[in-house]
This record gives sequence, C-alpha cells and structure tokens, in this order.
Amino acid sequence: MWTYEKRLQFPVRISKTCPKTASLVISQFGGPDGELAASMRYLSQRYTMPCKEIGGLLTDIGTEELAHLEMICAIIYQLTKDLTPEQAKADGFDAYYIDHTSALWPAAAAGVPFNACELQSKGDAITDLTEDLAAEQKARTTYDNLLRVIDDPDVLAPLQFLRQREVVHFQRFGEALEKIKNSLDAKNFYYYNPEFDKQFVKA
Amino acid sequence: MSDRNTWMKEIAETGFFLDDLKLYLDTHPLDQDALNTFAEYAKKRRTLLKEYAEHFEPLTCDCICPENNGSAAQKHWTWCGGPIPWDREASDWAAAAAPNFVKGGQ
Ligand SMILES: [Fe+2]
Repeated sequence: MWTYEKRLQFPVRISKTCPKTASLVISQFGGPDGELAASMRYLSQRYTMPCKEIGGLLTDIGTEELAHLEMICAIIYQLTKDLTPEQAKADGFDAYYIDHTSALWPAAAAGVPFNACELQSKGDAITDLTEDLAAEQKARTTYDNLLRVIDDPDVLAPLQFLRQREVVHFQRFGEALEKIKNSLDAKNFYYYNPEFDKQFVKA
Repeated sequence: MSDRNTWMKEIAETGFFLDDLKLYLDTHPLDQDALNTFAEYAKKRRTLLKEYAEHFEPLTCDCICPENNGSAAQKHWTWCGGPIPWDREASDWAAAAAPNFVKGGQ
C-alpha cells in the first residue's frame, strides 16, 4: 500500500506562465521515457523478481518515480494555470487546450498519448534490469534535451534535480544487476531465465 | 526554529537525504556507517514532522493530531489544511530559506 506525504520531493516555484515550455516538459509525464512509464515499469516488474532485495529496490525507485511524476505535473500546472486562450494559440498549446483546458493529461511532447507499450515487464530478471538501466539513461537524455532548450531558471532547478536522480537510479540498478548475476552460473548468465527456471538460481 | 520556511527546509533536506540513503542501503544492506546514519536522520525526520504538525498542519497521516489545532472545545480536521503541494505557494519556503534550491542555471 502507499501513504501520501503532503509536499513535493523538491520545491517547484514557477512565476511565469509559458504553455510552450509546458508542452515540452509534458513528455516527462506521459512520454516514452517519462515518469509515469518509469513508475509503472518498476512497480509492475517487482512481483516476479526472484531476489527479494531487488523487488524492494524496484518498489522504492518506483515510489520515488511517483514523486517525480508529481513534480513534473506541478511544473506543467504552474506553467499553465493562468493561461489565456490567446497564449495557448500563440504558443502552440491550443490543440491540447481544446481537449484538456489546463488540466493534466499524460502525453508526449509531440502529442502522442501515454502508451503502456513504452515500458516492458518481461518476467526475466536480466532482461528487465537491462531495460531499467536503459530507461534511466533515456530519461536522463530527455532531461538533458529539456535543459538545453528551456531558459527559465525556475523551471531548470527542478529539472536539474530530476536529471540527477536518473543517474542515481542507474547506479542502483547496475548494482542490482550485478547481484542477480552473482546468484547465477557465471559461465552463462543468459542461458536461463532466473525468474522462471528457478532450479538454476543459487539459494 | 519558529517559522514555517525554516521548518520546511529542514524537512525537505532530511527527507531527501533519507530517500537517497534508502536506495543505497537497498543495495548495500550491511554498510554499518550508512545504517547508523540512517537511524540518526530517521529519528530527526520523525521529530521534525511531529513538531511541524503541532505548529502548522500534518504532512503525513501519522502526524494528524486534531487535539493540537483549534481549541479543545472545537477540534477540526487538519489533514486538508495547509498549502497544496503543487501550488507555487507551497514551495515559497525554498525562496525564503534556500534560494539556491529554486534557481537553476545552464
Ligand atoms: Fe528514475
């Protein structure tokens, strides 16, 4: 289960309305490498993870991703809450505005709706952890792209924080992958599925 | 500590330190120094959350203490009070107590 803590993990305090920036940052909400995909990826994979410490790590990182999703949504909300229809039109936010006004709806920067096909839960520990390592790097690249095109320091601060967290998550998933390998036959890690062919996993 | 801003800064810093250390301990469960540090800061966080709820509003369900808000004769539900996390005002503490938190740069 989950409980809620009534604060953001890192402060979000944006003064200037900017639907254009919101339409880019939204990718980290509902885009291919966004926080919604990240949290659902880890929270889905954890059930069948053969090593319970790694199931625990997936729970903790998946939970932190939910807190990141909340920060991203707070950024978009603050960038658009005082939006006028004229600003929406001038900034290319009008198509989104027609369907969602200034509410939050998970989509990619190019307008593609959130799609569960952006994440995998394959039921093989090595496959899934390799996916997770790639996912953290893809999210980091997306943050780097955002940091290059956005210049409002109020928006950059939380994005820089979130980028750093992707690096830390990558490190932790790397350690988890090493741990799984240690419980397998070092002569051929990739021959078995440690989640399914349990007889080959050392106790 | 008397003002909301300083309190929130302490809660945010302690909370984040523990978020990060928790992930480290997930993959280094026998690191004795990290375990001791975790225990120390977890205790600090519990105290901060409890004191904040007594002065202002609860941030977690475990800190809801209606008896500390309003008069004894007229208790009220405090969980819905205080700033909404995603509102700009909820992060005002950072501008006052930790301006370098909220000003990013290229
Ligand atoms: Fe992440």
